Amino acid sequence: MLIIGKMKLADVIHHDYNLVPVINRFGISLGFGDSTIEEICTNKNINTGFLLTILNTFHDKQYFSQEYFKSFSTETIIKYLRKAHAYYLEKKIPEIKQLINQLGEMSEGNKKTIKLIADFFDEYAAEFSKHVEREEKVVYPYVLRLENSILDKNNTDEMSPEIGDYSISNYEESHEDVEEKLLDLKNLLIKYLPPIDNSSDLFQETSYLLLREIFVLEKELNEHSRIEDLILVPKVEEMEKLIKNQE
Amino acid sequence: MAGVVNIVLVESVFLLRSGIESLVNELPGIIINGTFEGNEKNLLEKIKKQKPQIVIIDPDSLGNDFVMFTNRLQEDQDIKIIGLLKQDCPDNVKSRFSQFLYISDSKHKLQEQIQNLSGKKTEKHENGKGPLSKREIIVLTEVVKGLTNQEIADKLFLSIHTVMTHRKNIVKKLGIKTVSGLMVYAIMNNIVEIGEMG
Repeated sequence: MLIIGKMKLADVIHHDYNLVPVINRFGISLGFGDSTIEEICTNKNINTGFLLTILNTFHDKQYFSQEYFKSFSTETIIKYLRKAHAYYLEKKIPEIKQLINQLGEMSEGNKKTIKLIADFFDEYAAEFSKHVEREEKVVYPYVLRLENSILDKNNTDEMSPEIGDYSISNYEESHEDVEEKLLDLKNLLIKYLPPIDNSSDLFQETSYLLLREIFVLEKELNEHSRIEDLILVPKVEEMEKLIKNQE
Repeated sequence: MAGVVNIVLVESVFLLRSGIESLVNELPGIIINGTFEGNEKNLLEKIKKQKPQIVIIDPDSLGNDFVMFTNRLQEDQDIKIIGLLKQDCPDNVKSRFSQFLYISDSKHKLQEQIQNLSGKKTEKHENGKGPLSKREIIVLTEVVKGLTNQEIADKLFLSIHTVMTHRKNIVKKLGIKTVSGLMVYAIMNNIVEIGEMG
């Protein structure tokens, strides 16, 4: 389904409740009655084109349209991406960690195993946070300098050597696989959890919650990288081209 | 994912792309894990990254690059290339493919062919000690101790090529790719003790 500004946000959420954390990132909370997306955006001073681009990219993995690209700045995208990072790092990852710890507490026989899984997840979390840090400390500042130098027309000369050094196309490559560990974690839980003490209903229920959280995180991260690849990268490539052509 | 056949599809016509995808989704154990239109940048790398066993290609989607492209893809022996062809496709194009599907075939026939071509074999179930062979368990033990392929080869008097094949099979069978993931598996299954870790 294509999401457009004239639709009621309530209808959209009925159709795809996974979008709730996404609208939260824009400062929209539940309880919006029958308001349309446009109305909510005007009220909250949100760039409608940007919200629609993000909602559609999240909702439909086939979606790719540059329809609204001109209507928002890369600064807007980066602000959004940083919020999303904070949500993963400060909320989702600790939630998963807590569920793993709960599992450890509820089974004597499996304590050792769960400890291994907890350590493995910590390792994943550390790698993920390193990846995020690189984006926030290297990639985003570069992109913002690029945008500023274009807005402030005289300044583009300074940027062009840096483009030679860096360029966003490297980003797609280095944007690689923190995901593998998450896949491993799923298999460790689904296939290889040793059958000691883990048949209690509570253990199984908690394992299910844990798995569900891991799947949700994985899905969200995939969509997050799609936003980076389909929205941020093309916009930056366009700016790089613009500056290079001015040389 | 062990046991699942991954297919990548290169088809520029949207309706065909979605159609093939939904046909395949009805089949057990086979998934389309990447679709491309054919004009993407670095298409070859992008396809290889998906680690497909099968690539279905509509030659029309690649235009003139088609011959060069299939040649380069064929360098990777693990990838099987299937043509997605029109009934009146010229012989010189057809001959580029060892196997092909016709877009005009019925649903049932297409599905049957995809299933046959994917060669979905049911994997052997070994009882008892999990899915790994004795040899693989020995190699796994060394891997999780942090030894390099060369060190493992020297220690076990194997060629480095054999060690790499074992590693590849271990990863494939277990569905665990990272060394630290393998380590967790090995300890959980009492293949190594925590104390043995390097």
